[in-house]
Amino acid sequence: MKTISEKILSKRSGKDVESGDIVAVPVDLVFAHDGTLPLAIQQLGDHPVKYPDKVAAICDHASPSPSEKVSNVQIFMRHFARKYGLEFFENGDGICHQIVFERYAAPYKVIIGGDSHTCTHGAVGAFATGMGSTDVAAIMAYGKTWLKVPETIKVELLGQLNEKVHSKDVFLDLISQITADGATYKALEFAGEGIRHLSVESRATLSNMAIEAGAKVGLCPADAKVKEYLAQHKRDAEYLPLYADRAAAYAREVQIRAETVVPMIAKPHRVDNVVPVTDLEGEEIDQVCLGSCTNGRIEDLRVAAGILDGKQSKTRLVVYPASRSVLIQAVREGIMETLLRAGAAIGPPGCGFCIGRTVALGDGEVALSTQNRNFKGRMGNDNAYIYLCSPSTAAASAITGKITDPREHNG
Amino acid sequence: MKITGEIVRIFPKDTNTDEIISGKYKYDELDLNKLAQHTFEAIDRHFYEDCRKLDQPIIVAGANFGCGSSREQAPQVLKACGISCIIAESFARIFYRNGFNIGMPLIECDSITKSVSQGEALMVDFGVGTITNINRRQEHHFKTIPPFMQQLLQRGGLMPYLETCGDYSD
Ligand code: SF4
Repeated sequence: MKTISEKILSKRSGKDVESGDIVAVPVDLVFAHDGTLPLAIQQLGDHPVKYPDKVAAICDHASPSPSEKVSNVQIFMRHFARKYGLEFFENGDGICHQIVFERYAAPYKVIIGGDSHTCTHGAVGAFATGMGSTDVAAIMAYGKTWLKVPETIKVELLGQLNEKVHSKDVFLDLISQITADGATYKALEFAGEGIRHLSVESRATLSNMAIEAGAKVGLCPADAKVKEYLAQHKRDAEYLPLYADRAAAYAREVQIRAETVVPMIAKPHRVDNVVPVTDLEGEEIDQVCLGSCTNGRIEDLRVAAGILDGKQSKTRLVVYPASRSVLIQAVREGIMETLLRAGAAIGPPGCGFCIGRTVALGDGEVALSTQNRNFKGRMGNDNAYIYLCSPSTAAASAITGKITDPREHNG
Repeated sequence: MKITGEIVRIFPKDTNTDEIISGKYKYDELDLNKLAQHTFEAIDRHFYEDCRKLDQPIIVAGANFGCGSSREQAPQVLKACGISCIIAESFARIFYRNGFNIGMPLIECDSITKSVSQGEALMVDFGVGTITNINRRQEHHFKTIPPFMQQLLQRGGLMPYLETCGDYSD
């Protein structure tokens, strides 16, 4: 009787493993970006890249490059990618996780990224986790990695979410219960009727934030919706059903009743410093940020545009679509026009505001963002304040210029 | 494997990777030895010099040492400072893994911060899982490191391990 982690790692290591075992497994994709690939290239030294078709390099963090130093680092990456014929994603192609989600992530795959939010790909049943640069180097050289099979915390979402309440609110609710190190070394496994009702993109938001509770992976079952998602991306053949066994052994089980979840917000400077939006209603904000690997997908932009349609933003409104294909789709659907008319400043697909490398806050400013982290200094200024919320809350608050419960807005 | 060294610092709970090495240097400095001079710069100006004075400096820390980003520069600069071993009440996951990968021994030992002081000498025996406080003649126990990870340390980290073994030996 196995958890999803145990199933994937048993299959991929060719052994019958359980939590606590250490295994060596082949890696289907390893990727890194402009913040982590340069050190990995140094660590690799003279070793050749063993499987160039299983490596991706992405310029997304400081992108398009804001300084000559970063530009030179990107040249170093491009040379390396060209030397080995690696797939290279340029400035404007999008955030590493969104690119990988659209093009590579699939059930039973082992995906390792030089970035902590690699856990995003658990949403389609991939064992995906972030590692450091030496690990990335070792995988480039040998095509394998070592993993400890994690214990699992099962998070069951019962029932269905109310309107204008999103998976982002569910995760903020969850982390307020289990805290920022409540899942350290462990897997989070999402299950239940509530998860079945969520789109694959909404599940990606949950999986993406697993690391905020310290988790190694954030896994969802690979059901009919995952099958459909892969088909839409012309990857039908990569679908395999994947569910935990009924009697799998869990370290802990948490249940959340979907109907009781309300719009939530994380206050500075901790992701687990969470309260209902209603507790902060009316607080002034300077900038609303829509995007990031947490909530920069087409459904997030659609939700925000639905609320902002025909309205004006009273705050600065900064939008970064998560990838080029998200932006193309948003243009097709007229979402970009709606957001532009509402006063948005649209940035090129990439991390943008999320780490303050290309867009920074000023002293004392307050941002309301759909991203995943609100640490001090995260958006480029130690004296700024970051609040985290869903796309609905972000859009409704942009209209009023104050923190606003989206359920009070018609539209 | 045994290490005898002196406690150079005792850090509190939740010491994060930003405190170890500020993100502002990360994109600009690719030389780890140069980067190491900025280790703990914002919270502990003399850390680097004090480490250089000792033979085998040891760090002792509270729970969740190395939390925050996945930046491997954090354990790398500690190694470049000459740190021989870090004993913490617990470690953040990615830091823990990065430590072994670069050949830096990390030990988890419950409530260790309560019974040691800066400047004391410790003898760590990895095989049996004991830390002997030479000054106080006290012994602490820890759960020994899994054999695979001990092998990583003996070889000096993941890349040298793979070079000698040719691959993962399983
Ligand atoms: S969008 Fe933010 S959290 Fe996601 S990869 Fe980029 S910097 Fe990291």
